[in-house]
Amino acid sequence: MIEQIAFYSLAAVTLVAALLVVTLRNVLHSALSLGLCLFGVAGIFATLGADFVAASQVLVYVGGIALLVLFVVLLAARHSELVLRQTNQQWAAGLFIAGATLWGMSRYIAAYRGLSATTEAHPTTRDIAQLLLKDLAVPFELISLVLLVALAGAILYSHQGKEEGPADAPPPAGNPDPGPGDPAEEAP
Amino acid sequence: MTLAPYLFLSACLFVIGLFGALTRRNVIGILMSVELMFNGANINLVAFNRFLHPQSTLGQAVTVFTITVAAAEIVVGLALVLAIYREVSTVYAEDFNLLRG
Repeated sequence: MIEQIAFYSLAAVTLVAALLVVTLRNVLHSALSLGLCLFGVAGIFATLGADFVAASQVLVYVGGIALLVLFVVLLAARHSELVLRQTNQQWAAGLFIAGATLWGMSRYIAAYRGLSATTEAHPTTRDIAQLLLKDLAVPFELISLVLLVALAGAILYSHQGKEEGPADAPPPAGNPDPGPGDPAEEAP
Repeated sequence: MTLAPYLFLSACLFVIGLFGALTRRNVIGILMSVELMFNGANINLVAFNRFLHPQSTLGQAVTVFTITVAAAEIVVGLALVLAIYREVSTVYAEDFNLLRG
């Protein structure tokens, strides 16, 4: 009984926050609702017994991604946007596509009606760690490479450009004042 | 608790994100909608793991990978949005009509 109450209240919070994300006119309010929605999804993970995933959801999504979106909204927003329309002219077609997708998905969901869990939920952090370091070791290393490349790409694209930076300036000829006794300069 | 409400919640979240990605004018709004779609897929993975294969945790491990990829995607996307905003001073998708500013 308490499980049903937890699930349905969290689901209501998540869905209402998600609807606010896509319908609000002020992008700043949308970003704040996104944080609330991601927090609700973390609670849903907790009701499913996925403790590690819930913790990483809070750490990565709520603490990282929602905050990053908030920063970019503050950097790239203007006052006039508060009165502009935020949806394009194709909202009716979008609503139709979304409704058709939901209808098709609910056809498949109906096949799983009445399926309940057979075992109790147990802590899974140790199992996930063993999976990540044994069976999924190669994808684990690859995903760290993906993160590194994403970091480099973000730095590359958000770099200020070279018109006002000192990147265009020619490098100083030689080292003007080498430190006394710098062994790297004198090494053969 | 049965599996179907979880699946329906994740389908609703995915569809809301799809609607937002199709109709928002603001690029930051589109990126936020894509995050909603990621979250719908993550709920699906964890719910199937819990109800159909409770002795394994492979679905949760894949969810950790998905969260990582989503973080990488949003970081690069927001950096691109900032770079484009610096060039054309707008964040609306219909004004992004130049490949080379």
